[in-house]
Amino acid sequence: MHSNRLGWWLLAPTLLVLFLFGAVPFFYVVWLSFHQWNPFAVNPEIIYTGADNFRRLVFDSGFLASLGVTVAFVVFAVLTELIVGYLLATAFMKDFPGKAIFRTIHTLPLIMAPIIVGSIWKLMTTPSIGIIPHLLDEWIGYDLNIGQSALAAFTVTVIMDVWHWTPLVTLTLIAALVSLPADPFEQAQIDGAGKRQIFWHITLPMIAPAVVATVFIRLMDALRTVDEVLMLTGGGPGSATRYLGVHIFKEVFPKTNYGYGSAISVIVLYLTIVVCWLLYVGMLAPRTKK
Amino acid sequence: MKIAFRAGASALALSMAAGLATAQDITIEDADWWSEAGTKFDGVTLRGVTESTPPSNFVSDVLAPKFEELTGIRVDVETTSWDQMYDKAIKDMEAGTGIYDMVYIEQDIVYAYLARDFLVNITEALEEHPELKAPNYEEANFTSFADNFRGAEDGDLYGLPMEAFIKIYLYRKDLFEDPEIQAAFKEETGHDLKPATTHEEYSEIARFFTAYGEENDMDLWGTTAQAHTGHPASWYEYFESVAPTYGVYDWGINPDENYAASVENGGEMNSDAAKEALTWWLSMRDLAPPESVQSTWTEVATTFAAGRVAQGLVYGENAAWIAADDTKSRVVGNVGVALPPLEDGVMEAAESGEGYIGYYDGGAFGLPTTSKNQDAALLFLQFMALPEVQEEWAMASRITLTSTYDAPKVKELDEELGGYYSMLRDQGYLFKGAPEYPFHRQVLEATAPTFYSILTGDTGVDEGLDEMARIAEEELTTLGYRQ
Repeated sequence: MHSNRLGWWLLAPTLLVLFLFGAVPFFYVVWLSFHQWNPFAVNPEIIYTGADNFRRLVFDSGFLASLGVTVAFVVFAVLTELIVGYLLATAFMKDFPGKAIFRTIHTLPLIMAPIIVGSIWKLMTTPSIGIIPHLLDEWIGYDLNIGQSALAAFTVTVIMDVWHWTPLVTLTLIAALVSLPADPFEQAQIDGAGKRQIFWHITLPMIAPAVVATVFIRLMDALRTVDEVLMLTGGGPGSATRYLGVHIFKEVFPKTNYGYGSAISVIVLYLTIVVCWLLYVGMLAPRTKK
Repeated sequence: MKIAFRAGASALALSMAAGLATAQDITIEDADWWSEAGTKFDGVTLRGVTESTPPSNFVSDVLAPKFEELTGIRVDVETTSWDQMYDKAIKDMEAGTGIYDMVYIEQDIVYAYLARDFLVNITEALEEHPELKAPNYEEANFTSFADNFRGAEDGDLYGLPMEAFIKIYLYRKDLFEDPEIQAAFKEETGHDLKPATTHEEYSEIARFFTAYGEENDMDLWGTTAQAHTGHPASWYEYFESVAPTYGVYDWGINPDENYAASVENGGEMNSDAAKEALTWWLSMRDLAPPESVQSTWTEVATTFAAGRVAQGLVYGENAAWIAADDTKSRVVGNVGVALPPLEDGVMEAAESGEGYIGYYDGGAFGLPTTSKNQDAALLFLQFMALPEVQEEWAMASRITLTSTYDAPKVKELDEELGGYYSMLRDQGYLFKGAPEYPFHRQVLEATAPTFYSILTGDTGVDEGLDEMARIAEEELTTLGYRQ
């Protein structure tokens, strides 16, 4: 009993910090999402509006368009990162000359701030001065202009995200692959299983928890992407790359539409939880039941 | 926001003035007065918040130490991103916490602050406390730009300007004065090659140079265009620099008609003139370098400095480095300055005070009513507005005091800039800042997606401006300005 009380006292500072910086802002945003508040409206007071903000969201074409492009962005970015990350992880499991240097270089994007990543890619993709449009024009005669083409802008934001975050996936999967026992693979080989069979029936099921955890992390990150895209395209051309994070940023900061912006944030959080839960149920829960 | 994004381009300009200037370089007259005035505030520390731009760094790195040296009052200036700056300042003033004694106010947000009574009436405060008025500080010395920071009813100052500049028409003198090019232009158009005064002339020159660049395999285009398809810079260029030259003022919103934006309700956002202006501007965008669809004010300046265009509308704060700094600009000594091209009747309207021909931008420092050190802050605000301090900033194309025009350094640079300072002094009154709306960013952000859609061609000009007028009115209704 005595040690239990001491434990709580020792935990108290951490719990207090978590409550102040985690729970309080969260509940404040939830509370705000049921209000109308714009400090620069004629009435700058916080007015309770019930579920109006959420009702408005359903018919807000700007939000729905933003949701659409965000889903596409997340699917393409996370899937590509997973595939490329796995291929790199398996490559790094083998020895080859210069492996250490290559692995270090490959990890470098991870330590860069998103705003810097956005700046670098902006510099590389600006027509006339960017290296990428220059090379594409020289090699295949393709005129890349992400200020003009919605598809090009979308594709470049996906590639930028893949470039920035694939190393994280690689590192996580290397950790998972390294920890796998050798026995099942040896037995499978003795039984005559091919590489594809080994991957689908042994490797993938065994690293599934790591894959799901990685997908969770990347999914949550991708859903709230702001800095890189804001710097690279500003959400354009038009609204082609106005992902949810950018949309919320524009509602909350420049428009000072705190109530509505909070409602969008709450919905995005809800969607993130739902998607993660579906992934968990789809990939891990059946294994757990067995 | 605009200034924040322009920071990159103006960094060099400020380094010319601010970067090289140190606290030791600035000699303050009446140093004894400042020392005496500071004795009352022993132990006081002033806190300010501003965006991280070269002028703000000049305040924190040069002026604050100099002020502390003179008065003993410590000044901590927090420089951060544009959005964080406004977020912090607004929340501090809204909650009344009194953290900040000075806040940066860009010209376009001052009306929002005034509407919320966030700012101290500086004129009145100095009248009530004559012992705090610095000997060399004169409110009458401010240029007409200071009018942007005056209260609508009392005419008093609520912010002391620290930087101001106009958006001007820059052209390449070397190209315009080249006999061969002049002959080719004459042959093709039947006109003499000279800076345009009308949109038709401007288009003719733009078409000629874009074709000339192509024919001669040069990286040369006929005009700049601040036409980013996802950044407010394009919205600003159209509404604040192009639409006024067609006689569409204050974004086409009519405060006298219940803040109407649509023609139907008494506004002009979707008027024929507005549609003509946007159509013209888009046609210029198509003659501009390919990077224009990703260009904000920063890239427009660098495009001009790289010698890639023959003419364009460029923020005046960049004029100094484009015209004079050969480490960054390829067109040093070849820059001419002129007024923007206009439709018939616009100049007359501007001269009579009923209209304007372009954008007058800048910013000021204000004193929050929630400040706990208002008297000491009044001293620092005046300090920044002293003629001897302002002369340093003028070297980067920013002038807020009439006396600064007479400074020898400024006169010298004026010649290199093709008379930019003279234009600012003599014709600055023809330009105007953002309209006096407390809902500046709200309307911009509400209508911007449709505007970008027009730029990408997904929405037509007529249909798009009609939609923007509708959205603007809807937003103004939501905010409570339209009844």
